Amino acid sequence: MDDLLAEFIAETREMLEASSGEIVAWEADPADRARLDTIFRFVHTVKGNCGFFDFPRLAELSHAAEDALADCRAGRRDPDPQMVSAVLAIIDRIAQMVDAIEAGEDISNADPDGGDQALIDAVNVSRETSGEDGASAVKQGSSPRLHAPASALIDHADDAASDRAVSSRRADPSAAQRTIRLPVELLDRVMSGVSDMVLARNDLAHRLRQAGNQPTIDGPFERLTTILSDVRDAITRMRMQRIETLFSAMPRLVRDLSAELGKQVMVDLDGGDVELDREMIETIRDPLTHIIRNAIDHGIEPPSARLTNGKREIGLLAIAARQSGNTIAIVISDDGHGLDEDRIAAKAIATGLITAAERSAMSRDKILNLIFEPGFSTAEVVSNVSGRGVGLDVVRQNLEKVGGSIKVSSQPGHGTLFTLQIPLTLSIIAGLTVEVSGQRFAIPQSYVEEIVQASTTALDLSHMGETALITFRGTRVPCLMLADVLGLDTSADAARDPTLVMLRLASGDLFALAVDGIHNHGDLVVKPLAPAVMKSGLYAGSTLLDDGQPVLLLDVANIAAAHDLVSDGRARVLQPVADEAAKPALALPRAMLFTDCNGRRSAVRLELVQRIETAPVSAIDCSGPRPRVVIDGLILPLIDLPDTPVPGSENAGRVRLLRLSDGACELLVAVRQVEDAVELAGPLIPVPEDPLAEAVTLVDGQPVTLIDAHELFARYGEPPVAAGRPQCSLPADDWARTILAPLVISAGYEIVPPEAADPHTIAIVFDEVFEAAEALGRGLTGPVIRLRDRPEATAGSDTIYRYDRDALLSALTSAARFAHHPGGRA
Amino acid sequence: MTNQLLVIVQIAGRRCALSALDVKSVIEIGTVTPIPRAPAHISGITALRSQALTVIDCRLALGLVQHAWPTDARAAVVAEGGHAYALKVDQIEDITTAIGEPGQVPGGFGAQWSRVATGMIETLTGPALLIDLSALIAGPDTLRHEVEAA
Repeated sequence: MDDLLAEFIAETREMLEASSGEIVAWEADPADRARLDTIFRFVHTVKGNCGFFDFPRLAELSHAAEDALADCRAGRRDPDPQMVSAVLAIIDRIAQMVDAIEAGEDISNADPDGGDQALIDAVNVSRETSGEDGASAVKQGSSPRLHAPASALIDHADDAASDRAVSSRRADPSAAQRTIRLPVELLDRVMSGVSDMVLARNDLAHRLRQAGNQPTIDGPFERLTTILSDVRDAITRMRMQRIETLFSAMPRLVRDLSAELGKQVMVDLDGGDVELDREMIETIRDPLTHIIRNAIDHGIEPPSARLTNGKREIGLLAIAARQSGNTIAIVISDDGHGLDEDRIAAKAIATGLITAAERSAMSRDKILNLIFEPGFSTAEVVSNVSGRGVGLDVVRQNLEKVGGSIKVSSQPGHGTLFTLQIPLTLSIIAGLTVEVSGQRFAIPQSYVEEIVQASTTALDLSHMGETALITFRGTRVPCLMLADVLGLDTSADAARDPTLVMLRLASGDLFALAVDGIHNHGDLVVKPLAPAVMKSGLYAGSTLLDDGQPVLLLDVANIAAAHDLVSDGRARVLQPVADEAAKPALALPRAMLFTDCNGRRSAVRLELVQRIETAPVSAIDCSGPRPRVVIDGLILPLIDLPDTPVPGSENAGRVRLLRLSDGACELLVAVRQVEDAVELAGPLIPVPEDPLAEAVTLVDGQPVTLIDAHELFARYGEPPVAAGRPQCSLPADDWARTILAPLVISAGYEIVPPEAADPHTIAIVFDEVFEAAEALGRGLTGPVIRLRDRPEATAGSDTIYRYDRDALLSALTSAARFAHHPGGRA
Repeated sequence: MTNQLLVIVQIAGRRCALSALDVKSVIEIGTVTPIPRAPAHISGITALRSQALTVIDCRLALGLVQHAWPTDARAAVVAEGGHAYALKVDQIEDITTAIGEPGQVPGGFGAQWSRVATGMIETLTGPALLIDLSALIAGPDTLRHEVEAA
C-alpha cells in the first residue's frame, strides 16, 4: 500500500510539474484547446487515483474541476477569467494536499477551514454568474497563494525576492510522454548486458566466417545484428538526460545570489531539451555554477550603476544549450559591464604571466582568455560568493578532463559570453587503435589532428638532447615515442619507419606520437580502470575490441603534461599569435599533391581523397580491359597504371594508391609518390586540350596539373563490387560431390546449390543433362560448362572430358571473367 | 561470525582464506593484456564478457620477491571499491566453513602478511590466514607510503 501511495504522489507531482507550464499558458489564453486538454487529463487522473486511495477531499476537488473543464471542452461554457482562477486554485490546493499526504498528515478528515467547499462553489458559481461571489471565494479558498504552481515553476517561493529577481523560462508545449521510473542500477545492468550481447555477436560472427557461407544461418544472423544495433542505440539513449535537470536549479541559484549581492538579475534558460549523458551532467554542474556566480558577482552591475549607463535596471543572464554533432555547446551570457581588458592585462603582467612587451602584441581575445590561466583572479575584493579559492583555471581543468573546452569573449560595457564545449557522452567515444611493440592502445579521436606516414628522413627527425623533433608543414613539432613513454622495447624496424599520430591538445599545442602502426578507428565503449592503474597517469580507461581483447585508452592530455608539452600561459598565448599571422584571410581550396607514375606532378582536390592505400602488386588484376585492384574486399577500378614496369617495384612489390570517392563511386589512382596536402593559392589556368586536367597551377613555383574529377569519375567511376568468390553449381551426383567439387573449390570457386544460382553462377553440367534441358526448352541462362564422359570429343558439341583438368580450369577462368564482365559469351 | 563460508587459496605456498561473499566467481584466466608502467603486482587486464578485470598477482601484491610458484589457471574474481579484480594465486583449493572468529597469533604474521591479513581463522579443513581484500589489492607500495608519511 505504501508503495502504491508513493507512486501516486510521485505521479501526481510529475504531472503537476509537467502541466505547470500549461496552466500558466492557459491562464494567458483560456481559449487554447490543447492546454485545456492537458489540464483536463491531469484533474481526471487525479480524480481516478483519489477514488482508489480513498481521499474524499481530493476526489471532490478534482471532480469539481473536471466538471467545469468538461463543460468547456463540450462548448457548454466559455472559460472566463473567474473560472480559470478557480480551476488554478483547485490545482494549487491539490498540490498542497499531495505535500500533506507525503508528510504523513491525515487529510481524510472533513474540510478543516471550509476552503475546499469555497473553491468548489467558486467553480460552480461562476458557471452561472460571473459575479463577485465566485471571485471572492477563490481568494478565500486559495490562501495562502493564488498562483503557487506558477511561481514554483520559476522557483521563487519567496515573495519578497520575486520582484528582485524575475526569471522566465520558455515553456515548451511538450507532448505528454509516457514514462516509468527505474533505478539507475537496473539501467546499468541492462547496458552491460547489451554490451555482452554485442561481444557475443562479434564472437559468433567470427566463427561463422571461419565456417564459410551458410545461407540458412546468415539471414537470421544479419537480422540479429540489425536488431542488436537498434537495441544498443536505444540503450545508449537511456543514459541520456535532459539538461533541464541541471537548468532547473539555476533560477533558484540566481535568485539567491542576486539577493545576497543586492543586484537584480533575470535568468533566461533555453535548450533544456538537449540531452546529455547523465554522468556528464554531473561533471559540468560545478563549472556551470562557478561561471554563473562569477557573472552575477563580477559581471552584472548594481541597479544604480546600470541605470546610470542607460541599461535596464534588471540584468539579464542567458544560459542556452545547443547540440551540434557529437558535442554540446553551452553559452552563458550576461549583459553586464564586460571584461576589462586593461585590468586583466595589468594583472597578468603583475603576476608574471606575460610581459609588458608581449601584452602590446596580444589581441583583446587573447588577453581575455588569460583569465583561465592558473593563479589568476581579477576581483580586488574576494567576496563570499565567488573567489572561494576555486578559480576559472580549475573550471577549465575539469572541463578538459572530460574532453571539453571553454572560452570567453566580451564586449566592453555590453556583456560577457562564456562558451563551454562538452562531448555528448563520457562512456562512448570515437577512438583510434594504434599498435606499438606488439601491443594495442586506443587514442581518443578528438585529439587526433592527422596521421602521417613517412620515413624519418622526410620528417627530418632530429634529437635535441632527450627530445625528438620532427618537421611538419614547416614547423618543428615535438615528438614522443609511444614505446618510450610506456617503457616498451622498440623494434628497429618501427623506429626507422614510424607512423606519426599528430595530436592537438585542448590548449592548442600540437605534438606527434610515434607508433608502429594504425589499426582502425571506431566507437569505443570506455570502462573505468582500477585506481592503482589510473595512478600511473598514462591511461584514461579501458575498452574491449571487437574480438573481446581488452585495450587501454591513453590519457593524451596527461601524457603531454608529464612530458612538459603543454605550454604554460606565456608560450600558449604567444604561439597562436604567430598562427594567426600565418593564417590566410580566405579559405583556399586544398589539394593533395603527388607525383604520378609517369613522373608528372599532379594534384587532386583534397575533399575527394578518401585515403592513401598501399596495396601489394598481387592485389592488382590486369587481365580485364581495365586494371582493377582489390582493397578491403572490394574490387575497384585502378587508373593511371603505367604499362611496365609495375610502379614502386622498388617498394618491395607494393603500390601507393590514392583512393578517391565522389560519394557513391570509388576509384584508385596509382601514384609514384604522395607529397603533401597543399593550398591552391595560385591562379588556376584551364587546359582545354587535356580532358583529364581541370587546370594547371603553381605550387611553390612548380607547375602542377590539377586533375578534373568530373571527367575522371565520368570515365572510370563505378560503384565498388564485393570481391565475392565466383559461384559455381555442380551436377547433383556423388561423382561431382566427391571428385569434382574439391577441384572446383581449390580453383577458388564457391559451390552453390543449383536453386540458389543467379545468372552469374557458372553451371557445370553433363552434356546429356544439358541436351535434355535444351530439348525441353529450359536452357540455362548463365555460363555453362558441359562435361562428357568419354575422352573423345563428339564433333560439333562444345564439351570437355570430365577428367581433363587443364581444359576444365581454363573453361572456369574464362567463364568467371564472363560472369564479372558481362558482354561476351563464354 | 561463525559458519562463514570461505574460499581457500594458496598464496606463496601459504593457506589463505577469502570470504566467499567477496568472491563473485572463479574464472579460467584468458589472455592478459599487460599494462606498461603499472605497479608490479598488477599483471594486466583481462576480459570477462564485456567487463575488464584488473589482474592482481597476489604473491607480488604481498611484496614478495618473484619466485617459481605454481600458478593456477583459474583466478578468483572479486569486487573492491566498484572495480572488479581477478586474483592470480598458486592454487584455488576449495570452499569451506569457518569455525570461530579470526584471531591473532603471538609474534604476528610478519610485516607483509600482517598488512593484508585480518587474522588467523580456523576452518573445517584446518587453519588459514583470512585476507583483507582492499589491503591486498592496494599492493606493497601503500605500506611504504604509510611508513614515509609517519
